Amino acid sequence: MARRDDARGMSEALAIAVSAVVGIVVAVASVWYFSGPFDASFETLYRVNPTVEGGGVGADYVAGNTDPLLDALIVVIHAVDIVAGLFILVLVFVHWGAFRRLGARMRDPDEPAEVATDGGRDADSGGESA
Amino acid sequence: MDHGKFTRVTTYFHSLLALDVFLLFFTGYSVMFNDELWWMVEFMGGNAGVLALHRIAGFGLIVLTVFWVTLMLIGPGRRKNFKAILMTLTDAKAFVQDVKFVLGRADERHPNARQFAGYSSDEVPLLSYVGKGVIYIFTVELVLLMVSGLLIWSKVGLAQFFQTKAAATAFVTFHGLLGVVMVMGIMFHIYEHGFHPAFYPVEMKAFVPKSMMPHEEHEEHEGTGIELLSLRPTWKWAVNLAGAAVVIGIVSVLVGSIFDSGYPVPAGLTPGGGPTSILLTIGINIGMFVLLLGVVLSTYGNVLRARYEQQVAGDEHDSEPEAAADGGQPRADE
Repeated sequence: MARRDDARGMSEALAIAVSAVVGIVVAVASVWYFSGPFDASFETLYRVNPTVEGGGVGADYVAGNTDPLLDALIVVIHAVDIVAGLFILVLVFVHWGAFRRLGARMRDPDEPAEVATDGGRDADSGGESA
Repeated sequence: MDHGKFTRVTTYFHSLLALDVFLLFFTGYSVMFNDELWWMVEFMGGNAGVLALHRIAGFGLIVLTVFWVTLMLIGPGRRKNFKAILMTLTDAKAFVQDVKFVLGRADERHPNARQFAGYSSDEVPLLSYVGKGVIYIFTVELVLLMVSGLLIWSKVGLAQFFQTKAAATAFVTFHGLLGVVMVMGIMFHIYEHGFHPAFYPVEMKAFVPKSMMPHEEHEEHEGTGIELLSLRPTWKWAVNLAGAAVVIGIVSVLVGSIFDSGYPVPAGLTPGGGPTSILLTIGINIGMFVLLLGVVLSTYGNVLRARYEQQVAGDEHDSEPEAAADGGQPRADE
């Protein structure tokens, strides 16, 4: 029962050090990758393209997002938020209720706590009803 | 005190992750819910300051998450944790029994639901069904948030992939909406672990490593022994006040995310998108207050941990010379 992961000394410390290095390297590399290499490509963006119907600078703001996949993604995540939100609310209410019921089983603050030390059960005043 | 579950490194990781995630929430949602949380943006250095902080915290999140996953893979004795987080049918039963318990149709919470295990601690699994759910949500959400966050790290880069500003905005929105599940979940997490009557105001097993938890041998006792504990005087109103604040916070953030999703393009050119109302403003601000409460409780947990460690160190220091001097037993108490 008293098996402790903490007690392995060096290998635990080594594992922590290695994990920390991996974490930092991955974070630096990913941020560098996503922010670095794109800087040189401004001129490929938002080109005036008058031959395309409805195209041109700023046309995307008038037309709105026309990528159905991204629109669908937003709709899906809205739905996920709502479903998850409602379930989390249920969990809050379940715990709220459970806490109140458990709290009713405990001793009131003004009751003397010494009764407990002799292992007596006389304070078993229920609390089921609350 | 209940049985410990966190190793030493986990207690530090949990606190750091909490600070980082709270910072991400405060910076991210003051931008997304700008109509309601404009003061927060001002408070944190305006738009540029907030986004800089958000990026720094985002970087921290990647470091912490990758650190944790690596540690779980290479750390001694960690692999078994992967098995311990698997959802089973018993967890579903624990949820059903929790509902029954609240309705008065069950006398006890299911072992897989128990936060206060007390005397029956040996029968309780590593994680409650809620704890498992938290791990699952964190895993999925953090991966998606980090990927989408990195994608929108540089708008130039993103626009190059998708070519329209609308698409870039859609990704920003997606990122914000994704976090809503997290923010609601964290509000519940704060409530679940801050307001349990046996632990209120903070569950020390997240702060004191299990190697330092006192394991007292106790004689056979039926049940958890929770009826032997005394309530704190403030618990009775605190549990209801915090419960109400959490519910208002969750509902407001949810409603706000629907109206105020920051996706202005298809809905017409209304920056911030959607109506602003006083109620929503108050509600979302209450939600942020709940998060702030989380920061405070987490800090308080660490203060208690420091005190406890000091006390344990002091006791050892005190008792050693005495035990050596008379060869007898160390003093049990003062």
